[in-house]
Amino acid sequence: MRFNLGEFEEIVLLVVAAQNDEAYGLSVTTAIEKELKRPVTMSSVHTALYRLEEKELVKSEVGGTTKSRGGRRKRIFMITSAGKQALLDAKNARSHLWSMIPKVVFENQ
Amino acid sequence: MSSRKNITPPRLADWFFNWYCQNELGESIQGDLHERYELYLESHSRLKSNLLYWMDVIRFINRFTLRKKSTRKTFTPTIMLKNYTLVALRNIKRNLAFTTINVVGLAISMAICLLIIATIDDQTSYDEFNAERDNIYRLKHKRLNDVNLWLATTPLPLVDKLTNEYTGLEEVVPLRRGFSGEIIDNGKAITLSGYYTNPEAIALFGLELEQGDKSTALVEPNTVVLRNDIAEKFFRDKDPIGQELVVGDLGPFKVTGVLKEIPGKTHVSFEALASYSTVASFEKQGKLSESLNDWDKLSSAWIYFKFGSGTSPENLQDELDRWADENYDEDSEYDVIFGMQKMTNITPGPLMGNQIGQSMPNFFIYGLVVLAILIMTCAAFNYANLTTARALTRFKEVGVRKVMGSTKSQVVIQFVIEAVLVSLFSLVIAIGLLTLLIPAFESLSMSSLLEWKLNPDTKVYVQFLIFSLLTGLFTGFFPSLYMSSVKPINALKGMNGPKMSKIGLRKSLIVTQLVISIVLIISATLVHRQIKFMITKDYGFAKADIVNIDLQGQDYDLLRPELEKLSFVQLVSGANNIPSIGRHDDIVVRQNVTDEEVKYNFFSVDENYIENLKLELIAGSNFTPGQTEEREIIINEEAVESFGYETAEDAIGGNLILEDSTNVNIVGVVKNYNFMILYMDIKPLLLRYNPEEFEWAQVKVSGANRIEELKQLENTWAGFDPNHDFEYKYFDEQIEEFYAVFYDIVYIVGLISILSIVIAGMGLLGIATYSIQTRLKEVGIRKILGADGRTLVFILGKSFFIMIIVSTLIGSLISFFGNKAWLELFAYRISFGFDIIGIAFLFILVVGGLTIGTQTWKAMRTNPAEILRNE
Repeated sequence: MRFNLGEFEEIVLLVVAAQNDEAYGLSVTTAIEKELKRPVTMSSVHTALYRLEEKELVKSEVGGTTKSRGGRRKRIFMITSAGKQALLDAKNARSHLWSMIPKVVFENQ
Repeated sequence: MSSRKNITPPRLADWFFNWYCQNELGESIQGDLHERYELYLESHSRLKSNLLYWMDVIRFINRFTLRKKSTRKTFTPTIMLKNYTLVALRNIKRNLAFTTINVVGLAISMAICLLIIATIDDQTSYDEFNAERDNIYRLKHKRLNDVNLWLATTPLPLVDKLTNEYTGLEEVVPLRRGFSGEIIDNGKAITLSGYYTNPEAIALFGLELEQGDKSTALVEPNTVVLRNDIAEKFFRDKDPIGQELVVGDLGPFKVTGVLKEIPGKTHVSFEALASYSTVASFEKQGKLSESLNDWDKLSSAWIYFKFGSGTSPENLQDELDRWADENYDEDSEYDVIFGMQKMTNITPGPLMGNQIGQSMPNFFIYGLVVLAILIMTCAAFNYANLTTARALTRFKEVGVRKVMGSTKSQVVIQFVIEAVLVSLFSLVIAIGLLTLLIPAFESLSMSSLLEWKLNPDTKVYVQFLIFSLLTGLFTGFFPSLYMSSVKPINALKGMNGPKMSKIGLRKSLIVTQLVISIVLIISATLVHRQIKFMITKDYGFAKADIVNIDLQGQDYDLLRPELEKLSFVQLVSGANNIPSIGRHDDIVVRQNVTDEEVKYNFFSVDENYIENLKLELIAGSNFTPGQTEEREIIINEEAVESFGYETAEDAIGGNLILEDSTNVNIVGVVKNYNFMILYMDIKPLLLRYNPEEFEWAQVKVSGANRIEELKQLENTWAGFDPNHDFEYKYFDEQIEEFYAVFYDIVYIVGLISILSIVIAGMGLLGIATYSIQTRLKEVGIRKILGADGRTLVFILGKSFFIMIIVSTLIGSLISFFGNKAWLELFAYRISFGFDIIGIAFLFILVVGGLTIGTQTWKAMRTNPAEILRNE
């Protein structure tokens, strides 16, 4: 099945993929803030992650107990194969569109 | 860094988060939040960080965090039902004694409620067979210058108004009184009664004809339609159509139709319907009083009608108001307004006068519903009390269930199922009890008045089932909430369950139940004693071995010699009324022509009366036998005083004028005797010598062989008057019968008091079990330290004894004042003795002693080592 990935969802999904098995709510938030210099609230990242989970583009697992965070466990998000496919589709769609742009458009830049 | 570690996020924010987010996401989100807070602290002040933290917490309110904790989707709630039922049945079996008490207690209350349900069903079933009942109305009237009560009758000129001056009514049916008389059939006199009405009546009341033509049956004057059982009674195998019936003084009627059996209860009861066209000719002949054109004849008929489509009751009401204005003057005796009443609202319906048949007022129904709710609430409360009291033994089970993953709602379901099972068991017993109760209730003289026919059908049984299921849900709800709130860790550690709060409330509820029981026991005893007292009281006249024969219009002077021929007859006297059963006539009396007229009670008697009833003549003499003109009179002591004589002797020879015309001399004075109903004082009384008015022959018999004597009396009667059946009653039985209605009250109050004792006993048992269970350890320690049985009983029973004493005090006070109110209506009454309070107290003490005693005994018998081993 195909889902329309929103722009923010795509970014979150990319970060989850990039952090490879170590992505959790806060890490994704800080990564977006640091790498994209884009202010983002943690709750919206969480919401995006849960929505992606509903679409089965990511899956989550509760990690082991940690000493920090008052002993609270992290919820680790991992990209699923459907998620990977969705990212590839999005990338291909973009590059296809890029290829359609005549050279003239960017000539004066 | 280390100092920052000790700084924790604002607790209130954490609390708030935990409050709104209770699902599995909460933990990881909160972890993230805390980590983020630490990041904030690195670059912001603490205040700013707290603020940011709060912002984060608030921003997290969304559909994911607010979602309820998800249960495993694969779980179906019904999967455990079998297990719950099994466990419930095992539990019921294991605590058989306890279950029995619970089931019986619930069943008794339930039986009463079932009786109430059956009664309500029965009483609301009137005219249900009539498909058009929602469109049928009856007119009613009220006199504005009289008592404020609607009356069901209306004057007959309205029939003409409704048919000719108003369009839209399909049928207008008058039912006029006055159709009754004796029919001599095969030498037997049988009374026939009914109404005059028009042919439309048959359709309007949903009836059908077995024989005859519906449209013509009641058209011709002097025609009659009979109920099928009546037709059979008169004509047996013959074809009734075309036959003639001579109805008393009214003359011959031709039978033109026979009704099919009426398919259900109807509020109109009659044996026959005569044609309405008869009324006009009878009124002309003087057989009936003028009513067809008389607006002032307010009580001679009932008028029913059916609305066609497209007419509204409001529309008609305006017309009714106009007609009332036209025909009644505000200043006259009759200032009347009319109204209408739906057929479905007649019985049960509002209290009205001049009802066509018996009608149960609807407040009675509401009262019954409230009573049922009260009884069931009490029973449910006791069930809850008993179940929670025994809960200690089941906390472990709940604990294990919870550990194994049972949710709170599942535990609730389990205990509700148990209660429903108990309630279903109770239903079975209650239905059994009901079959015993119904005949008992139907035999009450009250129920025959209301045509009480309690034969529950399928519909009623379905209602019973629904009722018991609801009862089960209701009674199981509170104990299940209590049981399910147990924390598994506490339960498995062997600690007590959640603290039972409000023990004071429980105690006061039980005191209330006890007080009610005591009031009822005392009242029932008092009513019983009062009736016994009235029946066995010395009436001042003899009533043993006297047969009262109803003369049924026959001549006493002719019957008397026939009776006197019988060897066992000792004396025969005549009278117009039987004393002491509430019937007596009065007459205006003056001593001088110029005096004010005063009304006096009188009995018409003959010269044997005084001897026959063993009245005592204290002055003067008896009547001279064989007088043709009324010239002598005998009075009682009260009358001596009220006529102003000093002594009885002074009264002899005095002159009285009866009804302006008859001059009589006082020839004798009898000692006072109770000729009125016993709750009234003895009033002045005249004994008139007046054989023409006799309605009863009072025959003093030897009483040696009652059956033989009655047979001979009956033979004598049959030879004397073949048309009427021999109607007789033994004098003492007749008086007892008159007071039988009071026995109904004793019966009902007695039944309710038994019920209340059962309920209160259950309440006591519940609270005793609970409080003793919680004190088991104390008992154990006391026993080890050497307390003996007596001390333990005293310690454990003290608070219950106090409860019983307090209840007795309150109950006695309430019943003293409550019963005083009705007892004072009686001129002859028993006194409110302390022995009655003693009886009630003893009764409660025995019930209480049994319930508490068994529990205490059980606690005492337990080996202290077993209780204390766990410590």
